[in-house]
Amino acid sequence: MRAIVTGAARGLGAAIAGRLARDGADVVLVDISADVTATAERLGAAVEGGPGQVAAGLVADVSDEAASAAAVDRAVNAIGGVDVLVNNAGIGGPDTDVADTSLAEFRRVLDVNLAGTFLMCRAAARVMIGQGSGGAIVNMGSVFGQQGVAGGAGYCASKAGVALLTHSLALELAPHSIRANTIAPGNMATEMHWDELRSRAARSGTGFDEQVEMTRAAIPLGRHGTGGDIAGVVAWLVSADASYVTGQTIGVNGGVWLG
Amino acid sequence: MPGRMAGRRALITGGAGAIGLACARRLLAEGAEAVLLDRRADALSSAAVVGAAPVACDIRDPAAVAAAVDRAAVLLSGPADVLINAAGVYRIAPLLDLAPDEWDDVLAVNLRGSFLAGRAIAAALIAAGLAGAIVNISSTAGLVADAAEPSAHYNASKAGVLALTRQMAAEWAPYGIRANAVCPGVIDTPMLRMMDDPAAGAAYLRTGVPQGRLGSAEEVAAAVVFLASDDASYLTGAAVPVDGGVTAI
Repeated sequence: MRAIVTGAARGLGAAIAGRLARDGADVVLVDISADVTATAERLGAAVEGGPGQVAAGLVADVSDEAASAAAVDRAVNAIGGVDVLVNNAGIGGPDTDVADTSLAEFRRVLDVNLAGTFLMCRAAARVMIGQGSGGAIVNMGSVFGQQGVAGGAGYCASKAGVALLTHSLALELAPHSIRANTIAPGNMATEMHWDELRSRAARSGTGFDEQVEMTRAAIPLGRHGTGGDIAGVVAWLVSADASYVTGQTIGVNGGVWLG
Repeated sequence: MPGRMAGRRALITGGAGAIGLACARRLLAEGAEAVLLDRRADALSSAAVVGAAPVACDIRDPAAVAAAVDRAAVLLSGPADVLINAAGVYRIAPLLDLAPDEWDDVLAVNLRGSFLAGRAIAAALIAAGLAGAIVNISSTAGLVADAAEPSAHYNASKAGVLALTRQMAAEWAPYGIRANAVCPGVIDTPMLRMMDDPAAGAAYLRTGVPQGRLGSAEEVAAAVVFLASDDASYLTGAAVPVDGGVTAI
C-alpha cells in the first residue's frame, strides 16, 4: 500500500502516518510546516525493520493548485504510485461570529480545508484512475461539519463541504474501485483544539484548564480523542476490511454527537 | 489481524444466520471466544463447525435472554464483553396489507430482542465493573425508504435499532460500554429476496449500488469486528453503513 497523508507534521496526521507505516504501507507525509521533515525521520526510524516505511516528508501548501499537484507528483516518484490518500491538513478558526468575520478570514478556512482537500483529491484521483488498481481516500471532516456552532461558521461550512465533496467523489470513483469516506472527529487532544479553547477562554474571561474540563465533561466517553483513536479508524477504512464502505461519514467523537 | 480480539468474550444473537455466523468466524479468527444464540436449535449445529458454543434462545423472551446470557457467562468463563445483535427477520408487505400481528412479530425480534440482549449484557458488565462493546445490526432500510420493496415494519424496526444504539451509547458510556450500529445494504445472504428475480436484481445493482455489486456477509463482519475492537475505541453511538455507497446517492 502506497499512502499520502497531509497535515502530517504533528497531531492526527502524524499519528495516522505512523499507524499506516506500522501496518505495512509506504508513506509520504505532506505538510505546510517544515517540521514535516523531522516528523518523517522520527516516524521512519520507529518503523525501521518493519514491513512499511516512511519514504519522504514534503513541504507543500495543499491550498495552492501547483504545490498540491507537485506534492502528489513527488510522492508518486518516491513510492511508485498512490493507493491511499488521507487528507488531514486543516486549520481552525476564525472563531468569530459571522457579523464580525471578514471575507478574507472566511475564505482562508474554506481555502485550506475544502479547496485543499479538493486539489489533493483531484491530483491523487487522476493517478489512481490511471493506475487502474483501485484505491481509498479518507478526508477529515469534523463533528462541526455535522452540527453548527456559534462563532464557527467558516470552519463548520468547510467541514460540511468536505463531507459532501467526499460523498460525491465516492459516486464518481466507485466504477474505478476507488472508495472515498469522511471521518468526523469530535474534540481531539490536539494543538488545534487547545488553540480554540485558549481563544474561547480569552473571550469569556475564563481559564484554559477550565475550558478543557468543561469540554471533557461533555464527552460521554469522558475523555478527549487521541491521534491513535483516529488512526485506528483510518487503518480500517483504507483496508480490505472496509471494501464495501464508501460515501460515508464515520463519526469518531466519543459520543459527543448522537444525532 | 490475528490476535486483535484475543481475550474477548463474544455473544452473538442470530448466530445461525449468515451475518451472525460470519461475525463468529471473524471473531474466532482474531482470537476471541464466542457463544452463538439462535431460536433455531437445529441450525445452531453450524456453530460447532466454526468453533463457537451454541445456546438456543428466543430473543423475544426476557427470561430466555437472561438465562442465555447467564449460560454464556459460564461457557465463556466471564460475562461477554462483546455483544453482536444480529438476530433479525425480514418481511415484505405494503402498508395497506400489513397485518398488525406481523408488525409486532418483526418489531419483537429486531427491536425488542436487541433491547433485551443489550440490557442483559450491559447489566452484567456494569455489575462486574467491566467495559465492553455492543454492535447492533441495523440496515440501510433504517435510513431510507424503498417503494419497490415495501417493508415498513422492517424499516421501522431497523430505524428503531439506530435510536436504541444512540441511547445505549449515551447511557452506558460512563461505564466504558460503547454501542455502535452497522447498516448493511444489499448483502448476498438467504435473506436477499431480490435475487428471486435475477434481471431486476442485476438492474438494481447497476443503477442503485455505486459499487455495482452485492456486499458479502464477510464484509459486514469485518465492519462489526472493527467496531468491537480497540481500533474503534473512540466510536460510540455511530451508524456505519456497509452498503457499497447506496446511502451516498
